[in-house]
Amino acid sequence: MIETDHLSVSYGAQVALQDASARFVPGQFSAVIGPNGAGKSTLLKTILGLVTASSGRVNVSADLGDLRKSSAYVPQQQTLDWAFPVTVWDVAMMGRTARLGWLRWPGRADRDIVLDSLEQTEVEGLKDRPVQALSGGQRQRVLLARMLARRAEVLLLDEPLTGVDAATQEKIMRLLQEQARAGRTVVMVTHDLEAAARWCDQLLLINRTVVAQGTPEQVYTPANIECTFSSSHLGHTHAHA
Amino acid sequence: MPEALLDPLGLGFFVRALLGVTLVSVLCALVGVWVVLRGLSYIGDAMSHAVLPGIVGAFLLHINLLFGAVVAAVFTALGIGYVSSRSGLKQDSAIGIVFVGMFALGVTLLSRAPTYTSDLANFLVGNPLGVTQADLWGALAVTGVVAFTLWAVQKELLLVSFDPTEARVVGLPVRRLNNLLLILVGMVVVLTVQLVGTTLSVSLLITSAASARLFAPNLRRMVIVAAILGSVCGVVGLYLSYFLNTAAGPTIVLVNTAAFLIALVLKGKRE
Repeated sequence: MIETDHLSVSYGAQVALQDASARFVPGQFSAVIGPNGAGKSTLLKTILGLVTASSGRVNVSADLGDLRKSSAYVPQQQTLDWAFPVTVWDVAMMGRTARLGWLRWPGRADRDIVLDSLEQTEVEGLKDRPVQALSGGQRQRVLLARMLARRAEVLLLDEPLTGVDAATQEKIMRLLQEQARAGRTVVMVTHDLEAAARWCDQLLLINRTVVAQGTPEQVYTPANIECTFSSSHLGHTHAHA
Repeated sequence: MPEALLDPLGLGFFVRALLGVTLVSVLCALVGVWVVLRGLSYIGDAMSHAVLPGIVGAFLLHINLLFGAVVAAVFTALGIGYVSSRSGLKQDSAIGIVFVGMFALGVTLLSRAPTYTSDLANFLVGNPLGVTQADLWGALAVTGVVAFTLWAVQKELLLVSFDPTEARVVGLPVRRLNNLLLILVGMVVVLTVQLVGTTLSVSLLITSAASARLFAPNLRRMVIVAAILGSVCGVVGLYLSYFLNTAAGPTIVLVNTAAFLIALVLKGKRE
C-alpha cells in the first residue's frame, strides 16, 4: 500500500499540492482526477521521489519494498522526444534496463518479456518501426509495453489517455484493469472523468488538495465535481473507502 | 587518374594524415551521434576552446600535449556540470563562463611561452599533415577507450537521453552519466583540434552525425552512416587539398559541410 500523509509540495512560491492525504491499495485501479494545475502529476512525482515534499510524507508498505525498484512510471507522452532514432522494440527494451543493471545485456528471457509486452499492447507488428513514424495511440501503447516489460508491482501513469482514440482507450483501460486484478497497484492520472468513473475502482479527486477519495459511487457527486473543477476549492470532504 | 590518386600515398605525412582523419572520423561518429541527439553542439565548441590551457600548460612543462588537453577537457566537463548545478544558472551560461575562463587562461599562459613553435601552432590552428606516428597511436588509444565506454553504458545512456525522468525513477545516476558524456566529448574534441584546429573542430564532431541523423532509423545505423560519411569526406577533403593546394583542415570541413547540404536536399526531395 502507498499512502500520502498530509503531503504539501511547492515549486518556489507556487503551491502545487497542499495537505494531500490519499492511499493506493494493491489490487485496485485508482484514478487521480482534477483540472490542469491541480497537482495530479506532482502527486505521482512526489510518490516516486522525483519531487521533494515541503511537508508530510509518503509511506510505502514493506511488501512493496523500494518503490523505485518495484514501480514503473509512464510519463506524459508529450514530454518525450519522439524524433529520437529508436524503434518500438528499443523503447520496450528500455523497460529492462534497470532490471538488468550495469554491464549486463538483455538475454533470451528479456527478449521474451519484451515480446510478450508488445503483444499485450498489440504493437508487436510495429516492433521494427522508428517511434517517430507512430500515431499518438501507438506511441502510448509502446509506453505501456515498456511499463509491462518492467514487471513492476506498482504502475503509475500520467495521462495515458491523451491523444488516443476511443477504441485504443478501451484497450488501455482494460489492460490496466487486468493489471490491477492481478494484484498490482495501478494509479492513473487523468482529466477524463467519465473514463475513470467507468473503469476505475477508486477515484481521487484533487484540486491542489484532496477533494474526495472513494469508489466512483461514493465520490462521483455533483458537489464533489463542482468542487474539483471550479477554480476555487472550498470543500474538503474525505470519503475513504 | 588512379595514378594521380596513388601519387601522394608515397608521402609518409599524407598517409599518416589519411589514417588520422579516418580514425578521428570514426571517433567523431561514435560521440557526435550523442552530441547531436542531446543538443550538446555548443558544448563541443566550448570544449575545443577550453582545452587550450591544457595544451599550453603541457607545452610549458614539456609533457605530452595530448595529455594536457585531455586533463583540461575533463576539468572543463566537470566544471560545467559543477557550475550549472551549484549556481542554478542555465547550462548555456555555465558553459560560457567556464569555457571563456579556460580559454583566457590558455592565452595568458601562452603569453609566457618563450617561443611560439610550429608544434604549438599546429595544435592551435590544426594541421592534419602534421600528424605524427605518436599522434596516431594516441588517437587509436582514445578511440578504443571511448568506444569501450560507450559500449559499456549504451543502454543507460539511451534511457537517460530518451526519457530522463524514467531514468531518475529507476535510479540511474543521471548527472554522472551526463558528466561522462561531456568527458567523452572533451576527449574527442582534443583529437579534432589537432586535425583542424580550435575553431573548426566542432564541425568534425557533429556534421557527419547530423547528416546521418537525417536518414538513420536507429542509433546503430546512425553511428555507422556517420562513421562512413565522415571518413569518406575526410579522405576526399585531404585529396582535394593536395591537388588544389589548399589548407587541409578547412578543406575537410568544407567537404563535410557540402555532404550535409546534399543530404538535406535529398531528404527534402524524398519527403
